Formats: sequence, structure tokens, C-alpha cells
Amino acid sequence: MAYLLTRLVSVAITLALISVITFAITNVLPGDVAMMIMGTQSNPEALEGLRRSLGLNDPLVVQYGRWVGGILTGDWGTSLLFREPIGPLIAQKAVASGLIVVLAMSIALALAIPLGVWAARHRDRWQDTSASSAALLGLSMPDFFIGIMLILLFAASLGWLPSSGFVDPAQDFIAAVRHALLPALALGLGLMAHLTRMTRSAMIGILNQDFIRVARAKGLPERTVVWGYGLRNAIGPVMTVAGLQVGYLFGSIIVIESLFSYTGMGWLTYQALLNRDIPLIQASIFVIAAVVMLANLVVDILYRVVDPRIRLG
Amino acid sequence: MRGFLSPKAVIGLTLVGGVVLVALLAPLFIAPERATQMVMTARLQPPSLAYPLGTDQLGRDLLARVLLGAQTSLMIAVSAVGISIALGLPLGIVSGYFGGRIDNALMRVIDALLAFPALLLALTISAVLGPNLQNTIIAIGVAFTPFLARIVRGEALRVVQMPYVEAARASGTRDGAMIVRHILPNIMPALIVQTTISLAFAVLAEAALSFLGLGTQPPMASWGLMIQASRQFLDIAPWTALVPGAALAITILGLNLLGDVLRDALDPRSR
Repeated sequence: MAYLLTRLVSVAITLALISVITFAITNVLPGDVAMMIMGTQSNPEALEGLRRSLGLNDPLVVQYGRWVGGILTGDWGTSLLFREPIGPLIAQKAVASGLIVVLAMSIALALAIPLGVWAARHRDRWQDTSASSAALLGLSMPDFFIGIMLILLFAASLGWLPSSGFVDPAQDFIAAVRHALLPALALGLGLMAHLTRMTRSAMIGILNQDFIRVARAKGLPERTVVWGYGLRNAIGPVMTVAGLQVGYLFGSIIVIESLFSYTGMGWLTYQALLNRDIPLIQASIFVIAAVVMLANLVVDILYRVVDPRIRLG
Repeated sequence: MRGFLSPKAVIGLTLVGGVVLVALLAPLFIAPERATQMVMTARLQPPSLAYPLGTDQLGRDLLARVLLGAQTSLMIAVSAVGISIALGLPLGIVSGYFGGRIDNALMRVIDALLAFPALLLALTISAVLGPNLQNTIIAIGVAFTPFLARIVRGEALRVVQMPYVEAARASGTRDGAMIVRHILPNIMPALIVQTTISLAFAVLAEAALSFLGLGTQPPMASWGLMIQASRQFLDIAPWTALVPGAALAITILGLNLLGDVLRDALDPRSR
């Protein structure tokens, strides 16, 4: 419990700092929200009036307080670009992104763990060399380039999957997954390369330890030794890295969702940045940073559940 | 310094060396005009003798553009990583060396910054400052600073506890001299490894920013921009995407290989 409590306090402090950083970055913007709403040709008196009613003349600290207050009470403001309340807008786009992030993470883990274990078991032989080389190559391909290759192969040539668009899973689940599959693959393959390397090196470390030798000497089947004893001990570090990669995924969805015209959080953030929709930029980068931080917290707690040697508290 | 003759090292050095040479020498054997010269009768040509890598939608020579793109890419990556070292190294050293409250406060801010995906941070900064060459460099440099500061701080924290630092302190060495003579040289190996990895990241980030229109601006030759332009002609002229994509992959692969080799050679803990 003590552990959880300290972690929660630290989370609160970090969230507060994230909100300050978000607010600070977006207030360096040379643009002016009032001018963006009314256009550059509008008359100065009307602009001044709007500025006053939006509170843009108040000191930054007051503006920051009002923004954080709004976030806390559920009033996230209105997007200048979409002319809609930001809260529901983000909630809706987050579902779309959640789908591809979860799919990408599942694809990456499902492929990377067996591949990494396989490479570690055959260390320095052809199996290891080919798996490790493939992983390094995957790591070196920009994900948007992987995405373009996937479009070229699965959409343009084979015609198996749609190359762009988003379908709401609540309306048509199959179509939603079909639309999410290519973006998820583009995200997942790079991640898989990273996790394969991590699994391999963690497994090599574990498989060299005495208790593995003992397990083999006892005559346990190799399958039990590798998967039961080995992987169980290697999975912690791999999960930690997977958790840290959530941040990487949320950076990548901006590029990937734009490439696939997949209207999720990444796409929304990109539109906000392109159009200098300041309230929407603030809200979306704050949400992304908060999600990344919370994902790391969850992984941290899971790590302790999986590895009972690290006690909570 | 073992492992410098392994296949990994040889391939890595060859790839990186090749890209650097191309970037440095490209202006000597290819006139910069050739990369921007549009030949309307030769649009979207597949690779041929006249155009070894084909042409793009405006009839520009892809070979010339990809070679000059190497220059753009490396110039931005090296400057950006330079910025993140200039900012991150002092921050990390001060935090790790002095410890205590300074360390606590600095690391809280760094942790909060690390919650922002680096690419998102770079994109936001570039959008805020207005996308152009100089701001792309600043955006990528600033976005990677928290990583660098974190790693330098960890290393400084480790070195500070070494017996030789204690000995130097006992013999009256001042903080400034201590940092320059004992701390800096001993965090160098980790810094070199991180610099190589950061360069790979920076090349990637520049391509991603330019791909999204928030990095290098046309008509400059940039691999990310080339891939962006290729999207509309993917089914009829796939080479317009494959050429810059392969150039990116080669550069990043070379840097990653080099990073691996350097880490194995310089960082005793990873053996």
C-alpha cells in the first residue's frame, strides 16, 4: 500500500508538471486565438472585445488556472477547427487509436516473444543471426515507410485490405478491424523488432544462470526449462520495455494515422498542429502525455505482480 | 576496443561511412540544380540509363535528389544531436553530480518531459515555431534533450561513487576540476553510444517531420519529403517511394549497427 501511495503522489506531481509544460509550449505560439476565430481582416475593436471575453488579456498564471480548472471539471473548451466541444471529440478519437495501439502491441508481443526466445536458444547460430538481423532491419525502417510498403502490397497489389479510413467498431466490428489492421501492422512491426532484441538479450542472461542448469540436470523437458523457467524470469524486463514503448507508439500514431487517414488521436493532434488550433493542441498533447505516463504506471505495477520477488510496499 | 572487425562493425562502418562520404562529396559530382531541375517530358520515369533511379512527378532526377537528401538528413541530425548534447550534458551532470534537491527538482521535470513522446514534442515545437530548416533542428534537438539528460545523469551518479572520485575529493579537488577531469571522461563511453543511437533517431525524426510537412520545406531535397510526394503515385511509380525509403533504412541501419558495436565495446555492463 505504501508503495502505491507514493506512486500516486508522484503521478499527481508529474501530471501537474505535464500540464504546465503543455501550457507553456502552446503559449509560445506566435498566433492569437482571437484572430484565429475572427480572421486576420476583422476590426480591431471586435478582436479586443473577443480577447477580453476569452480572458486572453489576463496574466498567464490566471489563464493557466482557468485551463486546468476546466480540465478538472470536464470543460475542455471548444476546438477552433472542428467547432465542437473538445472533451467528446477526444473521447471518440481515443477509441479509434486505442484499437490500433492494442492491436499493434498484441501483434508485436505475439511475434517478438517466440522469435526472441528462439534466437536466444540458438545463440550465435544461424537462427540467432537471421532473427537478430531481421530485428535490426525492422528497427531501421521508418514506420511510415513500412506503412507505405504495406499499402503497396496488401492494398494496391493484392487488394486484401483497405488502405485508408476508419470504421467505428460499435457499428461494424469486422470492418473496423480490417481498417485498423494495416496501420496496426505498420506500428507493430517496428515495435516487434525492438521487443525481439529485448527478449533475446533477457533470455540469454537468464539461460546462463545456475538454476537453469539445475533444471536441465534434473532432466526437466527443454520446453519446461525454456518457457516455464526461462521466460517466466525474462518476461519482466520485456514488459517494462513494452510499457516504455507505449510512448513511442503514441508518437508514431501521429505519422501512421495521417498516412492511413485513420481518424484517431494521432490524426486529430496532427490536424490541430497544422491548423494551430491551440485549445485542441493543448488538450490532445496533455491527454497523450497523461496516457503514456499512466501506461508506465500500470506496467510498473504489473511487473510487481508477475515478479513476486519485488514486493508491493 | 574489441569487436571492431566483426561483420556487424564492418557493415555498420561501411554504411555510415558511405552515407557520410556521399553527403560530403555529392555537391562535387552532382550540380545542386540537377536535384531541382524539372524535366516535364521525363515525369515518373522508371530507372533507366539516363536516370539510374528514375524520376519523380516533376521529372526531377531521383539519384541527384536522394544523394543531396543525404546531406540534408545528416546535417539536420548532427546539428540536432549537437543541441541535445549542449543542453542535456550540463543538465545531466549537474543533476547527477550535485544530487539532492537540485537532482530531485530537475529529474521531476525531465520525467514529465519524457511522458511526451519525442516525436510529438518535436512536431509540436516545430509547429509552434513555424516549420523551416532551422526550427526543425531546434525541435528535434530539444525533443531529445530529456533522454540525453537522463542518461548522463545516471552515468554521473555512478561515477560520483567511484573510489577515484572520493580520492580526488579527499585531496582537495574543486567541483569544476572534478567534473572536467574525472566525471566527463568517465561518462564519455556512454555518451558516445547514446550519441550514435540519437543520430539514428534524429534521422528518423527529420524524415517523419518532413513527411508530415512540419520539417524541411520544398524544394529542398529531403527523404521524408520525397516519400510524402510519392504517396499519390504509389501504384504507378513505386520507385519514388522505394528510393528514399531505402536510403533512410540504410542510414539508420548503419547507425544502429555502429551503436550496437560501440555499446558492446565501450559499455562493460552490457557484455
